[in-house]
Amino acid sequence: MSVQHAGPSRGRRTLVLLLWLAAVLAGVAVISRTHFSADLSAFLPASPDARQRVLIEQLQSGVASRTLMVGLEGGKDAAQRADVSRALGKAMRASGLYEQVQNGDHSEWQEAGTFVFDRRYQLSPDVTPQRFSVQGLRDAVTDTMSMLGTPAGNLVRPLFERDPTGETQRIAEGLIPATSPRTEEGVWVSRTAPRAMLLATTKASGSDLDAQAAAVARIETEYAKATQGLGAEAPKLQLSGAPVFSVQSRDKIKGEAIHLAIVGAIVMGCLLLAAFASPKALVVALLPVLTGVVAGTAAVALVFGSVHGLTMGFGSTLIGETVDYAIYYLIQARGAAVPGTGWQRWRDLNWPTVRLGLLTSVCGFAALLFSGFPGLAQLGVFSIAGLVAAALVTRHGLPMLAPDGATGIGMRRHMARVASGIVQAMPRLRVGFVVLGVVAVALMAWQGGALWRASLSSMSPISKASQELDASLREDIGASDGGTLVVIQAGDEQATLRGTEAAGQRLDALVDEGQLSGYETVTRMLPSIAAQQARIASLPDAATLRARVAEATQGMPLAPDRLEPFVASVDAARKLAPITREELAQGPLAPVVRALMFERPGGGWASLIALHTTDRFDKAKLVAALAPLPEVQVVDIGAELGSLYDRYLHEAFVQVLLGALAVVVLLGLYLRSLRRLVAVCQPLLLAVVLTLGGMAALQVPLGILHLVGLLLIVAVGSNYALFFDQLQETGRADEDTLASLMLANLTTVVSFGLIAISDIPALSAIGRVVAPGALLALLLSAAFAKRRVR
Amino acid sequence: MISGLKTRIEARVERGLRQARWALVALACAAAPAWAFDLHELMGLLAKQKQGEANFTEQRYVRGFDGPLAASGTLSFTAPDQLVRRTLSPRPETMAVDGNNLTLSRSGRSRSMTLDSMPELQGMVEAMRATLAGNTQVLQRYFTSTVGGSASDWTLDLAPIDARLASQVATLRLSGKAGEVLGVEMEFRGGDRSVMTISPKR
Repeated sequence: MSVQHAGPSRGRRTLVLLLWLAAVLAGVAVISRTHFSADLSAFLPASPDARQRVLIEQLQSGVASRTLMVGLEGGKDAAQRADVSRALGKAMRASGLYEQVQNGDHSEWQEAGTFVFDRRYQLSPDVTPQRFSVQGLRDAVTDTMSMLGTPAGNLVRPLFERDPTGETQRIAEGLIPATSPRTEEGVWVSRTAPRAMLLATTKASGSDLDAQAAAVARIETEYAKATQGLGAEAPKLQLSGAPVFSVQSRDKIKGEAIHLAIVGAIVMGCLLLAAFASPKALVVALLPVLTGVVAGTAAVALVFGSVHGLTMGFGSTLIGETVDYAIYYLIQARGAAVPGTGWQRWRDLNWPTVRLGLLTSVCGFAALLFSGFPGLAQLGVFSIAGLVAAALVTRHGLPMLAPDGATGIGMRRHMARVASGIVQAMPRLRVGFVVLGVVAVALMAWQGGALWRASLSSMSPISKASQELDASLREDIGASDGGTLVVIQAGDEQATLRGTEAAGQRLDALVDEGQLSGYETVTRMLPSIAAQQARIASLPDAATLRARVAEATQGMPLAPDRLEPFVASVDAARKLAPITREELAQGPLAPVVRALMFERPGGGWASLIALHTTDRFDKAKLVAALAPLPEVQVVDIGAELGSLYDRYLHEAFVQVLLGALAVVVLLGLYLRSLRRLVAVCQPLLLAVVLTLGGMAALQVPLGILHLVGLLLIVAVGSNYALFFDQLQETGRADEDTLASLMLANLTTVVSFGLIAISDIPALSAIGRVVAPGALLALLLSAAFAKRRVR
Repeated sequence: MISGLKTRIEARVERGLRQARWALVALACAAAPAWAFDLHELMGLLAKQKQGEANFTEQRYVRGFDGPLAASGTLSFTAPDQLVRRTLSPRPETMAVDGNNLTLSRSGRSRSMTLDSMPELQGMVEAMRATLAGNTQVLQRYFTSTVGGSASDWTLDLAPIDARLASQVATLRLSGKAGEVLGVEMEFRGGDRSVMTISPKR
């Protein structure tokens, strides 16, 4: 055949194909060096308010994002679980991957204990001038003596001569959390299940998923080593916590995206084979799709630095739309009078319509680019880059490979017959559709805002079983109430610490009222310099203290000179340099300080107070107690996430509406006829309304991704509506055009149908909206076509 | 010959052993009434007291101090698991146990913790609480017990099972009359000792 003669010139062909190949290779190179993330933070706003910013920082890199909970359940007995727990704990500590590994084995506190003892006169909140008066000393020594000759005596007695006022004990009281896990055989165990527990925080940041995956994998390896030789009697390993969830979701989304792509490609391949009966046509049809996915992913990687797993999963939805371009081309470029010129005829006759369809889609997605949420913006960039690349390949690349479209007729004649049957039957159902539309609007109006009741967590791909395990492990550990955080922010470290101390004083009152069983604050290890100096200033000199001790111990069965080491300790403490954060960062308390205090990315410092609430806790009282302190904020994580999501939903609504408006404006500019514009928009609007009505009738809680799905209906559906508009203008509809429409619709519905049954809620939400919506868009476009197509 | 002799000797030894065993069983049966006051019975008596209030005085003998350290206050118990020790002298202090929660109040500050996170402490609490409640099962989880005396004047010696508790507390002796605990003596490793005298309020 004479492809070389009548088709594109050889030079041009080589150039285009080389450019294309180079672009694809460059895209692959970019993608291969990209990180894939899966944390929720991509779906948190980029410009939050102060409270939200703290929340987001915490979600991204706070201690919660680095905390792993490990359970060892079942096995032979408690002693065996305790042995495995100790072995695993030791190996994990030795690995260097974790900042802290706790399993109830108190040996790790020894070093911290020495520090606390050495610096007790700077750390103890009881060190005041009154404490060192005669009466104060008398009371304090009496209190400490009341511990002697009791089971706790052995702990107190070795320190008594040096610390008769019990400052070490006072500090320890604050450091040991009120809600510790149950201890059995020397390790933490569950209160409800035969299970030993470990708690670890990783050194790596919560957003470094690769490091988190390594930290999780290390636990699995060390567990395998620790249980070697136990066989079937070994306790089972349970893992939970934010790192596990992030790693799991990433793997799950990745796996699901690949799975969807493979199944989608197979189904699509069968459809295309049936339509073209030509393997070559099949390969050619998939090229724009693949190029589009590569371009979309690479564009996101370049713009955002990393690709969110959800964006990747979304890639599979693009197959449905981009394959349409190839289908239109392969069918419509057929039947050229001179072989090799089919592409030219297609370029002149059909490309403008495809281009318009592309532009409307791009318009729609462009709205997402301006989203304040990086996750949504990623979807926008991905879709636009993917669609443009696929269209360019169709326009410039496919003519080089298949200048006359696809050979072979396959089952297309049947498709065309079905399509023309539908096209002829549909207008008769027009009234029915309108009635249904009215019903749908009424249903939506009736449900109102309740229709959009899906929450942020509905986007999470974490399974219910994993969530339950997490809740159960959390309960066992007695972790602080993650629901409410007290956050202190100030310009510098010392101001933050002073604010934290002020907040702590007010929280003490709530502890006495029984609303809190305790709280964790950084100032127990790191008091402000001002507080430390005030404490040191309340220490009397050696001679004064000696005299007061003698007076205070009168009548006690205790010779005053036995407390000479106390006088020496106090004297030494008067010369100690203040405790600084830098000093603590080198020591055993570093993890605790790091978890509770951090430098803000935008400058300044923040500290957190974690609350241990009792059932008498009243949040309003907490807020009222802390209200007078301007640098202190109470963050209710659940409520903040909820309001964040509402804001997100609201913003998405505005963007989707703007996107839809842009589509209408563009169509108006192109069509230059109000009548034609109405004819094109009518079926699209009705398709959206009917889809929403169906969701309302089925009681599906709708969320942001459903909204994005609606935008996709408009983007995909506008192609169909435009084709029918085109048919009316030209007045002819050959078999092939009808077949191409039918096939394009079928591939779209099938690919979104596959996504609809995905396990990942975010993807299935999009699929469940677009699959029926796209079908409706085609049927309605046919139904509302003004003139009957012959 | 030799084997025959051996068999005969063996048979005689065996017979002797069997007789001895019978004798032991018979002795045990005959002596039974005198040993009747056992842990089970003591706990039965104690379990009848559902609630109690008492004053206590305590003398603690601590190495290195010239005289005993004294304390006094009140004790109250409500079955099955509430126990409050309120020290009035020398300094007010309260220790209240309710189920798995322990609350310590001193100098206007209170602090609560869970008992089962500190098995040693739980053991010490149960020595008193399980005894007052007459809960044999719980008591035996933490201590091996020996009962002496009679229902009208008994002693209950407790030896800790948990190694950590045993490394601090050598022995515990509770004493009393019928369903009332009237004294608690503790001996600690290292030689310290405490003696508590309890006088129920009526």
